[in-house]
Amino acid sequence: MPEPLASINHGEDSIWGNSVDLKSAHRIMLNASSGKGKTTFAGVIYGLRHDYTGTVTFDGVNIRSFTPDQWTEIRKIKISAIFQDLQLFPDLTVKENLLLKNQLTDTYSEMEFKQMLQQLEIENKWEQECGLLSMGQRQRVAIIRALAQPYEWLILDEPFSHLDVANADRCLSMIHERTMEQGAGFVLTSLGSAHDYEYDYELKL
Amino acid sequence: MLNKLLFRNQDSRQLVIAMIGAFLGITFLVTSIHYLIKVQEFGEGSDVLGPNTIVVQKKVTEASVFNLSKTDFGEEAIEEIRNLPFVSRAQPVISRGLYFEKDDNKVPVDFGTDVFVQTVDAEFLDMDPNKWKWKEGAHHVPIVLPRQFLVMLNTYAASRNIPQVSESLAKRIRFKLTLHSTDGKMKESHEAYIVGFTSSVPSILIPQEFMNYANTKFSPDEEQKVTQLMISSKDGQFGKVEEYMNEHGLESAESEMDLSRLKSIVGTLFLVVIGISTIAVFVAILVLIQYMQLLITRNLYEVRTLMRIGYHPKDLVKKFFVYFSIIFGVVIAIAFVSFVILKIWLDDMFSDGGVYIDTNLSMWSFGALALAYVFFMLSSFLTARKGIYAEY
Repeated sequence: MPEPLASINHGEDSIWGNSVDLKSAHRIMLNASSGKGKTTFAGVIYGLRHDYTGTVTFDGVNIRSFTPDQWTEIRKIKISAIFQDLQLFPDLTVKENLLLKNQLTDTYSEMEFKQMLQQLEIENKWEQECGLLSMGQRQRVAIIRALAQPYEWLILDEPFSHLDVANADRCLSMIHERTMEQGAGFVLTSLGSAHDYEYDYELKL
Repeated sequence: MLNKLLFRNQDSRQLVIAMIGAFLGITFLVTSIHYLIKVQEFGEGSDVLGPNTIVVQKKVTEASVFNLSKTDFGEEAIEEIRNLPFVSRAQPVISRGLYFEKDDNKVPVDFGTDVFVQTVDAEFLDMDPNKWKWKEGAHHVPIVLPRQFLVMLNTYAASRNIPQVSESLAKRIRFKLTLHSTDGKMKESHEAYIVGFTSSVPSILIPQEFMNYANTKFSPDEEQKVTQLMISSKDGQFGKVEEYMNEHGLESAESEMDLSRLKSIVGTLFLVVIGISTIAVFVAILVLIQYMQLLITRNLYEVRTLMRIGYHPKDLVKKFFVYFSIIFGVVIAIAFVSFVILKIWLDDMFSDGGVYIDTNLSMWSFGALALAYVFFMLSSFLTARKGIYAEY
């Protein structure tokens, strides 16, 4: 239970106060209204937040015991994330933002990145600074950046909040393809809409 | 790319000011250390007696003329001087007369004269102590000759149109020392050779063992009064020796004291400059470290995000550490070049002023540079580590 949410009444089937298992290679939907703790949940399992009670384990190990070495390794090849606030570098170009991430694992070539941008209809933004892009365009860059690494889990924290249906579909399709290709699972948090995406099970907050 | 992200938008004015401060501090520090060492070394090697060594005696006053006060040193007085904190060693000087003459046909000038000889212990000499030994039956007696003696000899040779003798040549000439009893009935000659020259003492110096032998054999009944002491002061503390001498009615030849006094004053001045420079370097390093902290604080978002997308904190620490190490390395390199240029100028100035100091670079200067660099690297590494890991 995250400390900021301890004073709120949660439903009996809420994950807060209960035990929950994220099964590997499963597609999990986390659909809840604002303020229920979707971002907090994503932050806890990604190791960004430590203000909670209870235990979170990854591969059977309490994540509180992970060292910076272990978290770096996990974030590099096991868990990837699309942050709600995107966490792009506004002064760097789209190209630089993608290559900065890619140089950790050398997952894609520049050509492949351009193809992915083209698929999401922002191929002309390659040399543009991210700070000059619209929110929807930034979200698409952030999605491509999150895919530029091997992963077992992909955490998507409201990744389509600024996208129209057509663009959200294109992004989902790309995410699905990449995730299936790796035999990975994902956790998708959303503000009510499931974006018509098929998921294996849903978690309540 | 990582460099562009982390080191863009810097306040270059603050960085430049910190670099100039570090540059000036290091330049003055290295320069002052170099010249402090050179001043301490000044005079070494040219005289077999150490540069801080003087021969002192009690001032002759009206009272001493009428035997109302003593001019000799008792055991207690010698021990007291030995125990002074600014005196590194003190030894009684024993004197006697003997006959000194040339004993070598290679030198086309004959001379012989009664001279005054004094003893000196090997510890006062800047030479291998094994060369300053004598025992009964030895073929040669090592001696130290006053430079004035050689000057007189050469003046005499010049007036007779005889080739003059250099110091190195003089060391190859054999001399004869003739000991004699007071009544002149007993005589004994010994071969002698010069092992060094001195400008500090006006008499020929011989080993203590030879003096003991001579006195025991030729003047067994004469009481040996110690009227002179040879004293070596600790580096940079000659002023205290002078003060002690004034307070206790002691004196020494002014010429002997000039170099020691000058070295003491200049050494103290350089020590003050070293102190100020060290503070300047420390402050400059502090400013650079603070600048690094500011840079990390300005880039908190970037640092945090990089770690979130998979960058290891130690890689980011390394980036900051290497960046600032290069900056400080450049400062040190520029400071060193400036020091060399400054040194050439100062050496010329000293040379024009008649002060010929050794112009080789002092290893201590390099040591100071290395120490400042290591200190900075350590500080910058710890600062970067603390700043980055705090964001993890």
